[in-house]
Amino acid sequence: MNTAFIANLILATVRMAIPLLLISLGELYGQRAGMVNIGLEGLAAIGSLVGFLVSFVTGSNWLGLLCGALAGVAVNMIYAFATVTLCADHTVYGMAINIFAPALASFIYRVYFGSGSELSQITLMRGVAIPGLKNIPFFGDLLFNQTPMVYITVAIVIFTAIFFKRTQAGLNYKAVGEHPRAAATLGISVIRVKYLACVICGALAGIGGAYLTTCYSNTYTEGNVAGRGFIALAAVIFGRWTSGGILLACLFFGFCDALQIRLQVGSFGIPYQFFQMIPYIATIVVLTLIGAKQAGPKANGKPYRREQR
Amino acid sequence: MNKLTKSLSSFVVPLISILLAFLVGMIIMVCMGKNPADALYFLGFGAFGNAANFGTTLSKATPLIFTSLCACFAYRCGVFNLGGEGQFIMGSVAACYVALRSGITGVPAMILCLAAGMAAGGVWGLVPGVLKITRGQNEMIISIMLNYVATLFMGVVYTNWLRDASVPQTEAVPNETKLPRVLTGMRFTYALVIAIVVGLLIYYFLFWTSGGFKLRAVGINMTASRFNGFPVKRYILTSFIVSGAIAGLGGAAELLGTQFRLINGFGAGYGFDGVAMALIGQLHPIATMVVAVFFAALRTGSMTMQAGTGVPTSVSDIIQALVIVFTVAGMALTKLPQFEQLRYRLRSRKGGNAA
Amino acid sequence: MKKVFAGILTAAMAVSLLPAAMLTQASAADYKVAMICDSSISDGGWGAACYNAMVDAAGQMGWDYEVTDSIAQDEYYNSIVSYCMLGYNMIYAPGNQYTDAVLQAAEEYPDIAFALLNGGEGTPAQAVNGNVTSLLPNATQIGWIAGALAGLMSKSGTIAFIGGMELDTTLAKYAGYTEAAQYVAGLDGKEIKVLDPVYAGSFNDSNKGIEFAKAMMDEGADVFFGDASAVDSGARQAIDEANTAAGAISVYDIGQPSDILGQNECVIGSQVTDNSSLVRLSMEAVENGTFGGEVIYGTLQNGALSAGKLNADLVPEDVQTRYAEFIQQMIDEKFMAE
Repeated sequence: MNTAFIANLILATVRMAIPLLLISLGELYGQRAGMVNIGLEGLAAIGSLVGFLVSFVTGSNWLGLLCGALAGVAVNMIYAFATVTLCADHTVYGMAINIFAPALASFIYRVYFGSGSELSQITLMRGVAIPGLKNIPFFGDLLFNQTPMVYITVAIVIFTAIFFKRTQAGLNYKAVGEHPRAAATLGISVIRVKYLACVICGALAGIGGAYLTTCYSNTYTEGNVAGRGFIALAAVIFGRWTSGGILLACLFFGFCDALQIRLQVGSFGIPYQFFQMIPYIATIVVLTLIGAKQAGPKANGKPYRREQR
Repeated sequence: MNKLTKSLSSFVVPLISILLAFLVGMIIMVCMGKNPADALYFLGFGAFGNAANFGTTLSKATPLIFTSLCACFAYRCGVFNLGGEGQFIMGSVAACYVALRSGITGVPAMILCLAAGMAAGGVWGLVPGVLKITRGQNEMIISIMLNYVATLFMGVVYTNWLRDASVPQTEAVPNETKLPRVLTGMRFTYALVIAIVVGLLIYYFLFWTSGGFKLRAVGINMTASRFNGFPVKRYILTSFIVSGAIAGLGGAAELLGTQFRLINGFGAGYGFDGVAMALIGQLHPIATMVVAVFFAALRTGSMTMQAGTGVPTSVSDIIQALVIVFTVAGMALTKLPQFEQLRYRLRSRKGGNAA
Repeated sequence: MKKVFAGILTAAMAVSLLPAAMLTQASAADYKVAMICDSSISDGGWGAACYNAMVDAAGQMGWDYEVTDSIAQDEYYNSIVSYCMLGYNMIYAPGNQYTDAVLQAAEEYPDIAFALLNGGEGTPAQAVNGNVTSLLPNATQIGWIAGALAGLMSKSGTIAFIGGMELDTTLAKYAGYTEAAQYVAGLDGKEIKVLDPVYAGSFNDSNKGIEFAKAMMDEGADVFFGDASAVDSGARQAIDEANTAAGAISVYDIGQPSDILGQNECVIGSQVTDNSSLVRLSMEAVENGTFGGEVIYGTLQNGALSAGKLNADLVPEDVQTRYAEFIQQMIDEKFMAE
């Protein structure tokens, strides 16, 4: 174990954690308003495709990320309308999104790139070093020489923590997820907050997906989200519905993934699938150890009907 | 009266959803410059055009029936088992071991394989069940994680432990152990018969026995059931085991009836497909089976559609997804109080006119 | 409820009987070939190479062609049979994983030719109607072609190999790559360490290629070869990034199975498999009525395998000459002969 190995492991951990983190933060905003959206996998899939397509056409990664976010919002509005306005079951509708959005992404990709056999590549977002900080030995290059999206994601984590803990708006927002009826009597527009939650959730999940194709891999392959939506869902529970906790959870998953790949390279004759199982088994074990006490918003996943008294 | 309209809406909604989804699909085809009539013809021909094609549709429907019944049973008890895929795969792995390593062949081997599949699926379903009732864990997350573990475990089996000499796949099960076809010239096997029997048994259990009544009561209102003294936890655990066993049986039947060996991609996606079908079938076992056949037809036909017209199969995927999107939204719509009021108002007006 | 669903099914069946289209479409060519593929044909690797091989061969022979790509494992059979029903003359299935589906379809459609690229040597004999042919590029020679170049070019003495699946052919390529690199370096008194092969478990996951390449570069690898389509594309991306960060192109990649020189900066050369010549041989056999029951090998000797162009900026001239000599030795069957 030399420092280079550790440094590279940390770098890989960050790389793996960022998309998860973005998607989980989206889910956090959803669940804090009582919206349990298990359609993250689908939202990220459409975000990933649109992000790639727009970057490919315009050459701008930022535009790609923005449009990925918009695509996530657009698809999530279907979910919002069905669950908030029509009071459809959250889980059921999340599943519908998970089936619908990847099919749509695959279709768009085929229509646009379908006939040719050219490999379509884009230019990835470049890393930006923060002057001064990057000269810190060891950590400088590790933590302060990343793509802007990494800094932005960290900023969102900090903002989210402050928003939910320290601001009145954040407390009002949380009230919608805990006691929507009580929140309504305080003059909070529950429906509006729920829709807002879906916009934020769709946008962040879309960006999480678009990150994969604009900052991570310069090609698009079907199924590139590869279960990250579900892991992100686990990360929210794992992180006890706080942004700090989610950050740690995502880093943990990222670490498992990074370690898994390195173990495989130095494989010791053990079937590589066992290494690939590590992140999933770790999730189950850790969730089990954390235990039963659910700290989730109390009105999570429950329909809200204004008329009901 | 109310009951009648309710059951009426429960099949009108899927019907309208299917029509709407096809309408959107046809619009997409027109936008692509394809003739939708051609595409639909090939779609229909591929699925039902002749005995062989219809046999392929039924063969394709068989695993979907199993996983959709798996989802259906668990949801009737109010728990979301999203682990159908993992349970299906573990069932097929267990069956594969028995078929290749037990040294038995023929009908006894078939029975043993199917039993092993059921047991393995049940055990894989047991894990999220136990974690839910003892540790309060979210069963959706755990069962999804277990899907990945099962898929990777199957990978170990076909690349290492049961590897076919040169290729990363297991050997094929012996010919004598393969489930026979029901009719020559049609691909479906007795696996379909087993699936239908399982569906009928579940229907009987859920709607004609007191155990089934209690299980549904737990699904409708867990708290009330607890106050009524129902052993809620026991029902939850049982429903997980049974639902896992159904999926595991499906995996074993798929192995013995259609695929004959484990290979990369075996069973992928069947779990979530099953969930969707159970939902469209509104958790009614028999309706669920019909929906599974309908989806299988769409899939089988879409291959012919792609081959014949160049309309990509993802159009068929979109149609399938839209059926789900529309159905679930439509069902929710009919349950809204505003909708009830509207219907009530319409009816009273009609009544007034008649009087 | 039952009745209504039955109604839906009947409606679907009615749709199928629409006399809207004719089953056999008008076609200019006499012969038609269809390809099925589980990966995408725009993956910059295996899928693309196999598709282009079919397009080239069909162009030369005047055949019509069609493709369905990115299909799931449980759709192989169904997809093949769809083309059989539509009267295609030949089904081209590039990969051993299609063996079961091909054998079953071949049994049901005795008049259609099935060409299985990378098929097993014993597979044609298993087909009851004798209408299956295996097209088999020599995997060991493929490994040699890349390994000799890797042995000449590695400065760190560590080279890497990224596989998609643990296929028999993949293992043979790795073995050939290893022995050729060690032999070539050994002539110069150098030692070469070949990292254990890693498997992405898929041919599509380019992200995994990125991570593998980074991890293997951490282990000191400076020449990469692979057998994993889009995964390799990811690896090349990571190598390019590392070279950019280092300010010089010091880590190399050897492309396959077509000549991809210029696709990425790090590519120093390619191992080229001319699948189209193999496909063309099968097409000629179909036209002559002699198709089936054989294994058509692709080797350096018959021109199906070759070394692609070398990157003149990165490969010194003397190395180019020596590499050409090694390739000639392989053709003359004198490589590693003494």
